[in-house]
Amino acid sequence: MTAQLALAQTRNPLGAVRWDLVMRLGLLAIIVALAVVFSITASGFATMQNVENNARQMAVVGILAVAETFVIITAGIDLSVGSLLGLAGIIIALGLSHGLMLPVALALVCGAGIGVGLINGSLISAASLPPFIVTLGMLGILRGLTQIFGNGQQVAYDSPSLTNFAANSTLGLPNIFLVFLAVCLVAAFVLHLTRRGRYMFAIGSNMESARRAGINVRATTLTVYAISGLLAALAGVLLTARQAQGDPNAGTGYELDAIAAAVLGGASLFGARGSIVGTFLGVVLVQIMANGLNLLNFDPQVARILEGALLILFVYLDRWRKPRLAAA
Amino acid sequence: MILQHADTTSQEPLLQARAVSKHYGSVRALHEVDFEVYAGEIVALIGDNGAGKSTLAKIISGAETPDTGTLALRGASVNFESPADARKAGIETTYQDLALAPDLDVAANLFLGRELLRPGLLGTLDVLDRPAMRQSAQEHLREFGIRVTSIDQRVDTLSGGQRQSIAVARTVLWGSGIVIMDEPTAALGVAQTALVLQLVRAVSRKGTAVVFISHNLPHVFEVAHRIVVLRHGQRVGSLDPSSATMDNAVSLMTGAATTHA
Ligand SMILES: Nc1ncnc2c1ncn2[C@@H]1O[C@H](COP(=O)(O)OP(=O)(O)OP(=O)(O)O)[C@@H](O)[C@H]1O
Ligand SMILES: [Mg+2]
Repeated sequence: MTAQLALAQTRNPLGAVRWDLVMRLGLLAIIVALAVVFSITASGFATMQNVENNARQMAVVGILAVAETFVIITAGIDLSVGSLLGLAGIIIALGLSHGLMLPVALALVCGAGIGVGLINGSLISAASLPPFIVTLGMLGILRGLTQIFGNGQQVAYDSPSLTNFAANSTLGLPNIFLVFLAVCLVAAFVLHLTRRGRYMFAIGSNMESARRAGINVRATTLTVYAISGLLAALAGVLLTARQAQGDPNAGTGYELDAIAAAVLGGASLFGARGSIVGTFLGVVLVQIMANGLNLLNFDPQVARILEGALLILFVYLDRWRKPRLAAA
Repeated sequence: MILQHADTTSQEPLLQARAVSKHYGSVRALHEVDFEVYAGEIVALIGDNGAGKSTLAKIISGAETPDTGTLALRGASVNFESPADARKAGIETTYQDLALAPDLDVAANLFLGRELLRPGLLGTLDVLDRPAMRQSAQEHLREFGIRVTSIDQRVDTLSGGQRQSIAVARTVLWGSGIVIMDEPTAALGVAQTALVLQLVRAVSRKGTAVVFISHNLPHVFEVAHRIVVLRHGQRVGSLDPSSATMDNAVSLMTGAATTHA
């Protein structure tokens, strides 16, 4: 063939990828800088005890943030994870207090989480309803159910194996944090290495293109919301285990913290962007900032304000990564 | 020009659409259109803007379902519920809007929906074989004469023509039975257009049927074995490019004449 289709003269073809890397490294740098500053200024920050506390505290919202990362990559959103966390926490507490075996109670809760996710996913993919609306509705429904099930009260239960698991550490790391780490590893594997993960990115990039490429958009969307539901249920179990009781208000507003962490980590609400490493860093940043400022006796609201400002700043900076996309 | 012109009288069509109609709300996009294409044949589909060409292409490729009418593949009736079904049947399409995933790279787009998995256990775990796909993508682009700086380049960083080349390459790469190209040269320069026309001929020589949609009549007459004309959603005739003239085509497209060939 004599003619050549020259695709050579594109500007900085890998720029987007590099900018992603710069943003992640920037996040890491901020975390390191904060850790250094807090270690010097806040007594009690750089202690094993405090590190463990941080690890324990970030796990629950962290798992929700991983759930959001899946959903956001497909250009969706799941506002129901905080309520689902609460429902799962109440169900496991009720189940255990009524004498269910722990594995049975766990299976029940995981099944409920997946079930809620499948309902969300079906309404979104089969009935073509907007994810924001479907999961906002589900947020209200699940919180209401949780209050009814729990009678508006804390639910006590007695399961030493569950509460001990949450209180203990393995190899110096809190078990709850290890669960979070394991979730991150599996999620990163699925999202970044498997075909199903690639389909999630493809759907977030352009749903109709994905469909025309023969991708089963419906099945993939169902999978994503089912994963989100399962992870929210898991987070609910962990929180109930940590608090040694079920709380019908648990998880209220957590969905927004989870979304914020994922977005800080580079996930884009327009879809097809986000990573588990980024989300993990986002979770760590929010946790360290809140903890350090708390130790320095700042009003807790200061951490919220800074977190919000940082979120806006990061999304603003992220716009520089692909100035040409507007035309695409 | 010596072409292996399909003998349209004795042979069974590879694909036959009968009395296909499609409405979008109150808009009548297609009305009782018959269409057929034979193995190894290049059929051009022409007509003015809004004539229904893309709609017919999408119905054949499973991207849209017809309101009424039937499709038959090698004589057997088929019912494409989705593009996945048509793809399985060997039908591959370059859509007018390209249908690429802008956030994915060139290799990922070429293999979209057809990813290679790692051998062994990892493959069972659904793990992608990125190196194999990159290498294969690179080889195929070279074979097609398409050069990329990097196979890892995101598609949204390519120019419009470059993107179109990738969409065409994907179609040619996977189309085994029927290749549909909806204005595949609209964004291309002279050399690139020549390359695509060359690819179209090469594909048909392998026995693949090609449905070629274009507004460029010289290209149509250069490459097609048969020309089907649509107007206002109806098939208004078909032409033999070796005997018909472009004026014939234009009068059919605009309604100044009606023939049935
Ligand atoms: N998704 C849709 N929704 C509503 N109307 C549509 C849709 N797709 C096509 N149409 C209408 O159907 C008719 C045929 O459109 P089609 O895209 O098939 O034309 P075309 O021959 O491909 O035109 P062009 O040469 O401009 O690409 C047009 O009137 C168009 O407005
Ligand atoms: Mg068209």
